[in-house]
Amino acid sequence: MMQSKSAGNSPFDRNLLRQRRQRAAGNLARHDFLLRETGARLLERIEDQQREFKRALDLGCHRGELSNLLSRHAGIRIGQIVQSDIAPAMAQYAQGLRLVADEEALPFAAETFDLVLSNLGLHGVNDLPGCLVQIRRALQPGGLFLGAMFGGETLHELRHCLAGAEIACDGGLSPRIAPMVDVRDAGALLQRAGFGNPIADVDTIRVSYDNPLALLRELRGMGESNILHARRRVFLRRETLAAAMKLYRENFSGPDGRILATFQIVNLTGWAGAEIAPPGNVTRRVLRQ
Amino acid sequence: MPDTHMQSSRIDPKLLEILVCPLTKSALEYDAAANELISRKAGLAYPIRDGIPIMLPDEARRLPDTNAG
Repeated sequence: MMQSKSAGNSPFDRNLLRQRRQRAAGNLARHDFLLRETGARLLERIEDQQREFKRALDLGCHRGELSNLLSRHAGIRIGQIVQSDIAPAMAQYAQGLRLVADEEALPFAAETFDLVLSNLGLHGVNDLPGCLVQIRRALQPGGLFLGAMFGGETLHELRHCLAGAEIACDGGLSPRIAPMVDVRDAGALLQRAGFGNPIADVDTIRVSYDNPLALLRELRGMGESNILHARRRVFLRRETLAAAMKLYRENFSGPDGRILATFQIVNLTGWAGAEIAPPGNVTRRVLRQ
Repeated sequence: MPDTHMQSSRIDPKLLEILVCPLTKSALEYDAAANELISRKAGLAYPIRDGIPIMLPDEARRLPDTNAG
């Protein structure tokens, strides 16, 4: 084994992220609600383009959810879809052309695709600008990148409660790095990566769960515990966890007693080749709450 | 039985057309016998498992007789 380049000073541990996704693969079908929801919204954005694509990449394909949605969607014409995930256990479930790759080091020849899709796969990437540059290079001139990634408001309720419980029970706050992007930075990131006509907008998805533990189970089931702690950290004490769950129920319950969790989705759109103007109808997309 | 297994463990030629070394972005050689994708420039051999190329440097075999890395 080579020394992992994530093992040094990089904030996010890619090997840990991969392990979590490996473990989640078997039961992902029970926890893929959010993936299918954001995937369906990605499909709308593809359809908006009203054009045919020859070869698309689904980067971070999980078990092939996006491809499955596409196969049932008559309005979108894509000749060939290549699916890639960092976890072999995920990629195994995808049908058709598939491979294992890390978003931080893409193995694709220049100008291979005319469409690159990323459905909740870019959080936890240490060098997001570098990753976006690699995506742009894998695109042909005029090719389109459509991404959905977690925004900074994601799980603000849970993070608030965990922080409150740590201060109350442990007398301090353990450092946590949330692998999320601020929508105000996202457009600039795309521009910096050389994308033309970059657009970043936000969808906010509120989901209710029976209780806070069900939310934690869902996150683990998605292989997304890294939203909360991107590096292996000191075990959260049972008492602290219980206090956090209590705070959650007290502060973020709906009238039906179920707890609410916010997922903020930042939609990224960019064209490779700065000279290429986007088709006319993309500006109709507005902030959707 | 062995035949179908061989088929399913082989890489799809369509993937060979588009893959490069993730570290050096240079061309790969397909070693059908070893079922590996060789990056001479990086001095690494990427394994193919169940027909799925594993394009992770951490999972690659370091080639002997190389000055790379």
